[in-house]
Amino acid sequence: MHFKTIGGVALAASLVATTALADAGKLTVFDWSGYEDPGFFGSYVEKHGGPPSYTFFGSVDEAFTKLQSGFAADLAHPCSDAVRKWHAAGLLQPLDTSKLKNWDALLPEIKNVDGVTIDGEVWMMPFEWGNTGLIYRTDKISDDEISLQLLADPAYQGKVALPDGAMSSYALAALATGNGANYTNMTDEQFKAASDFLRSVHPNVRFYWADAGQMDQAMASGELDMGWAWNQSELNLIWNGTEAKMMRDVDKGVATWVCGYVHLKSSTTPTDQVYDLLNALSEPASGKYIIESWGYPHANEQAYPISDQAIIKQYGFDDPNAFFEGSLFFDAVNPELEAKMLKEFERIKAGF
Amino acid sequence: MNLRSETAKGTALSAPATLYVGLLVAAPLIILIAYSLWTQTYVDLDRTPTLANYREALTDPLVRHLMIRSILISAAVTVVTVALAYPIAYFIALKAKKKTLWLLLITIPFWSSYLLRVFAWKLILGFNGVMNSALLALGLIDEPLTFLLYNEFAVVLTLAHAWAPFAILPIFVSIQKIDPSLLEAATDLGSNKLESFLRVTLPLTTQGIIAACLIIFIPTVGDYVTPSLVGGSDGKMIANLIQVQFGAANNWPLGATLSLLAMLSVGFVAIVFVIGASTLGRRIR
Repeated sequence: MHFKTIGGVALAASLVATTALADAGKLTVFDWSGYEDPGFFGSYVEKHGGPPSYTFFGSVDEAFTKLQSGFAADLAHPCSDAVRKWHAAGLLQPLDTSKLKNWDALLPEIKNVDGVTIDGEVWMMPFEWGNTGLIYRTDKISDDEISLQLLADPAYQGKVALPDGAMSSYALAALATGNGANYTNMTDEQFKAASDFLRSVHPNVRFYWADAGQMDQAMASGELDMGWAWNQSELNLIWNGTEAKMMRDVDKGVATWVCGYVHLKSSTTPTDQVYDLLNALSEPASGKYIIESWGYPHANEQAYPISDQAIIKQYGFDDPNAFFEGSLFFDAVNPELEAKMLKEFERIKAGF
Repeated sequence: MNLRSETAKGTALSAPATLYVGLLVAAPLIILIAYSLWTQTYVDLDRTPTLANYREALTDPLVRHLMIRSILISAAVTVVTVALAYPIAYFIALKAKKKTLWLLLITIPFWSSYLLRVFAWKLILGFNGVMNSALLALGLIDEPLTFLLYNEFAVVLTLAHAWAPFAILPIFVSIQKIDPSLLEAATDLGSNKLESFLRVTLPLTTQGIIAACLIIFIPTVGDYVTPSLVGGSDGKMIANLIQVQFGAANNWPLGATLSLLAMLSVGFVAIVFVIGASTLGRRIR
């Protein structure tokens, strides 16, 4: 009898838990892999008894293709440069900022990014931002020596990696040729200069990385000396004990990106639950977690004072304005130029 | 009456397959052709039929370059695989005692996923991979070799390994079908071992060799995973360009056109090969 009671209680408890989980899991998020980390949305789990369900994509382009061919989810996680395209394709519904508890606490610079607001309505809640920059082995190249132009130096044949993404590589090329400010709207001449720069780097390229892990491992093993990559790679290398860092000097050239969550038109979960997750993601506590455990700066400015100050200083997150003003910003590139970049980049990679 | 029921029986028997093939081959092919005649405009499709995609693809030197490279890589894979497979098939069919065990052993590569096998080659050929570590440890080289990975060589090696069983099995079957009395007759008529191989065994197994070549050549031309993981920029193939059209470039019509052109090229090369090889086989006989 005694056993039976315990069994009954356990059964009842597990039933409650399963129902809560099922409800929590009804909310589906289409995301980069890794972002299902429960540290990002603690208060959602507290309220709904479980995490949302995640489906993953490998790149924003892949996500776009999948959504356009009918894949349904509640939220998705693109970067700001893709939002105009997603909006034009009719995939998004606007966000109601009055329901976003932390909206006022988000860094004002980030809220002003192109793509967050289109035609007076808000389409993306910024979540995290970061840099794309030149990561180099400090034991092989000195801080004075390093520059974007060094990528094309014949001394580094086979020691360089570029991303297998036209936009990111062209951002690098625009910076290296002194046209960083015109990246989204380059003239034909500037575009040619950027393409020529990438062509001059091509003989040095060991591979065009498609996943950051490939690039991190090659940097750590000594296969590469330099690579154009995200700050995540820099941190992985530092945590791995490799002497490497990102060139963050805005005068020498570094890029900044912002990613966030968008509410999809195909969403079927009650709006309140969707906003519960958005509010959990944008809380200062989630921000502290992503800063300390992932090394990504968060969108909420209240996250910074409560995080480990040494880390904040080391990664240069103490002065976001320096990046926002001095670096190339990954805004949406004019669609015609984007098509040209994609086409030309395939040629460059093939050695044409 | 009898004839009609025969026809009815035949139709009934082939109906499931016809339906299946119709749905899974013919329908996608029609969709592909339709797409290739449309145009991508930013996020929408312009459905006015046009041959612009074909014009663009056929005049683009990059497409030609990648298509030719894909065919050459696949041809190399086919030659390497079939040349290595023939002796194994020969051994199993004519000399081995435990044929079933041997055939089972040959299928072992299939017990792990294709993707894992590609990654395994990446680990073997990599900068700090098995091969380089071994050579360094033996003192044969001072610095890791970098020409092992990220080029056509790595693609050919990986594909040849992955597809080996497909070559062995059809050749094995064709060798096993040979009537041993024919070989005895050749010996009786004074042929030595090499002569009886060249004039009896080889011509009689032409069909098996052709089958093996086609089974390897056709799918490897369109392989996407291997070149993208071990090919680097020198080892990229046409499928990688097609993937870009369906992904980053978001230009499905052009991607469909490239796919169709790839199919036509493969079909053309395969037909020329079959005709050539059959003629050659008959001539030896």
